[in-house]
Amino acid sequence: MSVTETMVDTTDREITAELPRFGTCTYRESEVLTFPWGLPGFGTLRRFIALNLEGQEKFVWLQSLDDHSVALPTADPWQIFAEYAPHLPPYALSTLDLRDPEDFATLCVVVVSPGAAEMTMNLLAPIVVNLKTRQARQITLETGGYSVRTPIPRKAPAATAGA
Amino acid sequence: MIGDDVRIVVVAVDRDTVKLGIEAPRTIPVHRSEVYEEIQRTNRAAAGEPATAPAEGAKVPEGAKIADLGGKGRRPPAK
Repeated sequence: MSVTETMVDTTDREITAELPRFGTCTYRESEVLTFPWGLPGFGTLRRFIALNLEGQEKFVWLQSLDDHSVALPTADPWQIFAEYAPHLPPYALSTLDLRDPEDFATLCVVVVSPGAAEMTMNLLAPIVVNLKTRQARQITLETGGYSVRTPIPRKAPAATAGA
Repeated sequence: MIGDDVRIVVVAVDRDTVKLGIEAPRTIPVHRSEVYEEIQRTNRAAAGEPATAPAEGAKVPEGAKIADLGGKGRRPPAK
């Protein structure tokens, strides 16, 4: 791994990483998102940064800092599905310490099929981020009947940005 | 019992099926493993092949910068 990192100090250091997908990227320690409960499918990975690419502002890439070869695209579900109404189960609110809606952001994982012929969004298990603590967790909804692979209509705003 | 607060109960026994219930505190998520496995598969599919270097011929995108998550992915106010 090519992160220029020293022992953690008290200042909010700038860190530069060479990422295989995105090239050189600079971030601050305070911008790191932690997934204390992990991210399903990526066992031991805990630390991620959220990246925007120029010209693809609708996508937020979750880039692992523990394994630079892992990055997955996500997007704000309401950009595409305005009627989306996830009801977060109580354990989600308590473990992430969510009190105020202003405290959190919701991102849904996007799967782009080979050749970008089709895109789907995981509305069943949104990733919820507490913006104050920078802790995040992928939450499986218990109600609402959402699918892990909800097709994104071709004309939706995000569909113009290829991954 | 599993630990002090998770209880498995037999809800019903039919000829060849047993219906189990799980009672757990509201702080513990309980899901069928098929659902969890599907989420794992979907996450891996989203990430694609591990990238060790940019794909042959592909150029590394310029300008990857930290996303501002404030105000992102917030449920619009109810009408």
